[in-house]
Amino acid sequence: MQSQSCHPSAHPGSAARWCILSLLAAMPFAIPAQAQEISAYRVGKVITMDDRDSVINSAVVLVKDGKIQQVGKASQVNVPDGVQVIEMPQCWLVPGFVELHCHEAGASTDLHDYVYLTNPDLRTLESVNPGTENFKLARAGGVTTALLISGSGTNMSGLGTAVKFGDGLVEDLVVKFPASIKIAQAGNPERYWFRVGRSFMNYNLRQTLQEAKDYDQAWDDFEAGKTEEQPLFSPTFDAFRDLFSGKFIASMHTQQYQVVMMTLMLVHKQFGIKTVLDHSTFDGYKTAPLVIEGQDVITINGPRQLYFDGTQRKIFGNAARWWQGGIPKLGINTDSPVIPQEELSYQAAMACYYGWTTYEAIRGLTRIGAEALQLEDRVGSLKPGMDADFAIWSGDPIDPRSVCWMTVIDGKIVRDAREGMRRF
Amino acid sequence: MMAMGMVRLRMLFVGLLIGVMAAPALAQPRRGRRGEQPPPTPPSAPAPPAEEEEIEEERWFAVTGGIVHTVSGPVLDGATILCRNGRVFAIGNNLQVPEDAESVDATGLHVYPGLVAVRSSGIHSGSSPEDGTDVYSFNMSLALAAGITTAVSGDVAAKLTYGTLDDMIVRRNLFESLSWSSRDPGGKRRVREGLDRVRQYLRDVAAWEEDKRRNPDAKEPDNKWIRGQYESYLKLLKGDAVAVIDANNAHELLQYCELADTYGIRMVVRGAYEAWAVAPRMSRAGMAAIITPRQRVDEDPQFNRPTGSTIENARILHDHGMRVAVTPVGSLFGPGYSISLGGLAGRDLLHLALEAAFAVRGGLSNDDAVRTVTIDAARILGIDDRVGSIEIGKDADFVITDGDLLHYMTLARWTVVNGRVAYDKEKEGIYSHIRPDGDVNAPPPDDYWPRRLGEDWHKPAPSSGQP
Repeated sequence: MQSQSCHPSAHPGSAARWCILSLLAAMPFAIPAQAQEISAYRVGKVITMDDRDSVINSAVVLVKDGKIQQVGKASQVNVPDGVQVIEMPQCWLVPGFVELHCHEAGASTDLHDYVYLTNPDLRTLESVNPGTENFKLARAGGVTTALLISGSGTNMSGLGTAVKFGDGLVEDLVVKFPASIKIAQAGNPERYWFRVGRSFMNYNLRQTLQEAKDYDQAWDDFEAGKTEEQPLFSPTFDAFRDLFSGKFIASMHTQQYQVVMMTLMLVHKQFGIKTVLDHSTFDGYKTAPLVIEGQDVITINGPRQLYFDGTQRKIFGNAARWWQGGIPKLGINTDSPVIPQEELSYQAAMACYYGWTTYEAIRGLTRIGAEALQLEDRVGSLKPGMDADFAIWSGDPIDPRSVCWMTVIDGKIVRDAREGMRRF
Repeated sequence: MMAMGMVRLRMLFVGLLIGVMAAPALAQPRRGRRGEQPPPTPPSAPAPPAEEEEIEEERWFAVTGGIVHTVSGPVLDGATILCRNGRVFAIGNNLQVPEDAESVDATGLHVYPGLVAVRSSGIHSGSSPEDGTDVYSFNMSLALAAGITTAVSGDVAAKLTYGTLDDMIVRRNLFESLSWSSRDPGGKRRVREGLDRVRQYLRDVAAWEEDKRRNPDAKEPDNKWIRGQYESYLKLLKGDAVAVIDANNAHELLQYCELADTYGIRMVVRGAYEAWAVAPRMSRAGMAAIITPRQRVDEDPQFNRPTGSTIENARILHDHGMRVAVTPVGSLFGPGYSISLGGLAGRDLLHLALEAAFAVRGGLSNDDAVRTVTIDAARILGIDDRVGSIEIGKDADFVITDGDLLHYMTLARWTVVNGRVAYDKEKEGIYSHIRPDGDVNAPPPDDYWPRRLGEDWHKPAPSSGQP
């Protein structure tokens, strides 16, 4: 497993960062022995979520060394002799869900670190705690990858870690670090103990980003030979260099129209940061034209799925309204533990109840999250060469009646509910 | 019971009057929406009591063409449900609907009995719903849109009678509460002592009644102390009432099982997330359960018994012959039995049916899951003579949906309470923009919002007529 941020070509001088990175790079990333084998899954339907939106009925998925080797019609895939075929001919095989807003991949209440109003260099990597009950239940909900992020109690609260809900040590599970920076633009930080308001938060955010940008520019100039004096290393601002170069996203805690609009204007437009609109609830959907204009902005709606618009006396589905507004990339999140991690697909069910559509919602649970994390070459869809991360459901994975019978991560079965009692 | 009896008597009386008076009225042709259909043969009625009161007109209502899920019986495709004065009068395929009947055309839609919320807050007003309920409240419309037609408020089962106070109460005094704190080691002992005392009293009364035949001076046992909790124990011991208890883990549940067996008390348990672990014992004790299928309680390794919750709870209890009703899970914004517009959708009464869908995930059949929010819920409340299924003589409470009740994209098109349309998706408007006529790609309503300064604001108003 190779972390995207593990390239040794990263910026010299960033000693603190190098420390972590070399640690990650040195880790063996052991692939479990079971995954070395070839295995085959014979199912009733595969939703590949590939570029052509292929849905294959009566299909076989062939897995080798933890990767997808082949996906196709059962009649067209040659299963090598001696390979164990898992027969679930009534079931659907769906890419593992990607949760983009999770606070629970570490300790169960790892929400807020109210120490400083701004502590962008706080690292969720240090609190990943595999094997908790939450890991098991995430698998029971077909969730295979999650972005563990800091809480929204402070304005800039730290660097997020993309992990898989597999078995193993932290280094086996981390897919990308840093995978995001968490910025909270209103709402929760207003409860910070000296009660900051929105103007201050925007001011604080602008100042911090400007300082980071200046730092980045100073290093760029130095590295390009434009300046001779090496800038002073800053552990706080160093991670921002990859943020400005687009290697990871800003997870923006945004809610209403005004807040989403400020996020888009300030973070995305002014500083050119790859932006994911987390929550994006209440009447935030009214900024859809700005999001479309922003092109690479991704919206992940949740955990609020409905908005009561008093002016029209109507209940709107947030996801439906974003979608109707024409935005191309819409995902779904739980904000676990606000909504339990295993209920990610039920969030999509709610989005559909209030007006979205099933296929798009499945895309929102899988591919959109992978694209936001820039891991679309590894997870979020089922194509040869991709990580073998998927779940086998008794039917439509969004239907709360459907059972997630089996979850596979990196080719290894991490949940098999066909025998014994199911927690979920 | 008194009050209910009186209500019943009064309704029966009115019903008799109406049955009789309808006959001559129906004999004449009338103007109506369905003028082409001849009126039905009126039912035979007993001789009218002499009465000079003003006579109420008969109120006919019909649901036609739907896929009727009777719940207690078969699914009837395209059947008509004919209702008179708020009760189901006839169900069948070749029914003649009176020309003056109000009717809804449910062709292509599904008709279920109205849902029963075994616990609620925010719909009716507390323990005397008829005195304080706002029958035009937004919450009532929302609950009706969720298909709920009967809800328990306090200790009363009450109808969601939108726009009228008539026929709101189904039954009072549903339960006697019987519980002690799990942290109070003497709690159960005190309950048992109280029950013992009342049981002894009942024996004394029996002995006294026997004694009285021979000895006219036999002294009646003192009953002045039978008040409050003792009065409640008396009802429970005589089998006149059902106890409701809040208990969750296996240990607590076994305590109540023991009590139920020892004293012959009927019990309904709320919570019961570990009931699956002691289901055979609970079944033998005759318990019913009000549960939340997807309640999440992690395993506790500090016990040498099975612990924690399971999605299979409802299925396991059902397989052991227990009656199960379902109540939603709740969120940060309120308990599952409330109505919450906070936005954490899918965890309150607005999605009662989807909570039952989680029972299907746990292995219950679709039909049995529907029963957890209809007939089985009604049976647990002791009101299944009135609500919970579509049967002749029962209340005309229906939810008419655009799909399978347990599917996540199903919405109510109409909800009918006591033979009146209490919710109409199109007229009410709260959800009318979502899949109107089943169209998933219907255009959204306008926003009434200046999207961005400089765009809409400076557009010249469209000129009229001239190009």
